Amino acid sequence: MIVAERKPIEEILPWLEGARSVLVLGCNECVTVCEAGGKKEVGMLASALRLLFAKEGREVNVGERTLERQCDPEYLDELRDTIDAYDAVVSLACGVGIQFTAERYPSKPVYPGVNTCFMGAALERGVWAERCQGCGQCLLALTGAVCPVARCAKRLLNGPCGGSSAGKCELGPEVDCAWQLIIDRLKALGRMEDYERLIPVKDWSKDRAGGPRKVVREDVRS
Amino acid sequence: MSLKEKLAAGEFVLLAELEPPKGVHVAPMLDHARRLKERVEAFLVPEMHQAVMRMSALGAAFLLRQEGMEPVMQVCCRDRNRLALQGDLLAAFACGIENLLVVSGEDPSLGDHHRARAVYDLSALELLEAIGGLERGRDLAGVDLEGAPRFFTGATTQAGSPGRSAELEAEDIAQRMRAGARFFLTPPIFDPELLEPVVRRLDQGRQALVPTVLLLKSLGMARYIERNVPHIRIPPETIERLQRAPDKVRECVQIAVEGIRALRSRGYPAVAVATLGWEDKLPEIVEAL
Ligand code: SF4
Ligand code: SF4
Repeated sequence: MIVAERKPIEEILPWLEGARSVLVLGCNECVTVCEAGGKKEVGMLASALRLLFAKEGREVNVGERTLERQCDPEYLDELRDTIDAYDAVVSLACGVGIQFTAERYPSKPVYPGVNTCFMGAALERGVWAERCQGCGQCLLALTGAVCPVARCAKRLLNGPCGGSSAGKCELGPEVDCAWQLIIDRLKALGRMEDYERLIPVKDWSKDRAGGPRKVVREDVRS
Repeated sequence: MSLKEKLAAGEFVLLAELEPPKGVHVAPMLDHARRLKERVEAFLVPEMHQAVMRMSALGAAFLLRQEGMEPVMQVCCRDRNRLALQGDLLAAFACGIENLLVVSGEDPSLGDHHRARAVYDLSALELLEAIGGLERGRDLAGVDLEGAPRFFTGATTQAGSPGRSAELEAEDIAQRMRAGARFFLTPPIFDPELLEPVVRRLDQGRQALVPTVLLLKSLGMARYIERNVPHIRIPPETIERLQRAPDKVRECVQIAVEGIRALRSRGYPAVAVATLGWEDKLPEIVEAL
């Protein structure tokens, strides 16, 4: 999933200066699972905003809404009848959802209510960790399904650097060395010969080196 | 007199672009430079222009400096992060390189290593500010330097490019000036009129602009640019002129010479000549001026 973190309300507040009606807009997918922008967080932010506006003596109508997905035009269209009632939208979806909302409603100011961090998963309740950087050319078959792009601080593709010690990264004892994880995994699979194989210099053009990316599937295109 | 002093004294300055070699064979580059030394005030050394891998501008500029010539070293945001940029700037100054041209750099996808990962840790504007910081004796982390460099720094502008707003270009120039840029290199100019809308909007008029004159190599190249390079405009008269010319190469040289003369007579303080590998034509151009 896409993992995001809630922005501090002090960062959001100045953007809403002068607004008389604000929609806090959540998303029911990734950001709900990582507890940054689902219905619950929409409610929390809306209440906090109402309180602050009242303290400032401002009369601001704060609406709440959570769409099934903000990265999907079909669900975004559900706002068409109500959006005009608001001067501004604070979206709690990931950066994709925020931009899609803005693209759908070009004359409406849309502000981010979260910081979108990475693609990852929950290690335990309240702890999320990065697993993939969307590099566009997946290497996991060669690395025992442990990603060196996302999990090695230096994105090394052919074994650990000199800073790796006792299975930990040179960044510190709380960071696992991705290459230690790869080696452990390859050993468990009985595939250490994969470790000996050199991975060619990476083609970063599939990553961001070639500019913003697009996937086009002619077979499913309408 | 240094480049900075000559410009301050109001002397017309001619700059010539010299591409570093793709390899370690530096003799041809140095030969070109020696032949031009008397007629050209400074040499512009690109940093892997068009994202094509070559000897770095730092190395080539240092070699020119050793020969007693004045280089203007390009510093490019594409390939280095803030550590490398600042470290190389300190090295450059210690090697006697005092003129800089800050550029963003073209995307690697346009060059010969299109799988490379671009860096862009700093933008050109931020790099200009970082250079100002180094000059004040501080790096980007706020740590004091043991000895501060002193540069004469320029930047690029898209002034004269069709399809760019003159207001935005003028604003961009003003912003980069506040960040420390003292001169602005334009894209290749074939029609000086195109610069006027920006010139009119600048407080200092044309005084900080350094137009580029590009030596065409053939009719095909002119047509290609006209069709495919949106930021360069070649007037139809120039293309027709090349079409009619019996000796195309001579005509190309003549067009460049006339271009430099036209810009000089309009009062630009300097002109940069780019030849894209045809440096051996430079003596002919400067002789004819
Ligand atoms: S908008 Fe973002 S958070 Fe919501 S479903 Fe799409 S990708 Fe996930
Ligand atoms: S190799 Fe690339 S696509 Fe595969 S997990 Fe790592 S970053 Fe993601």
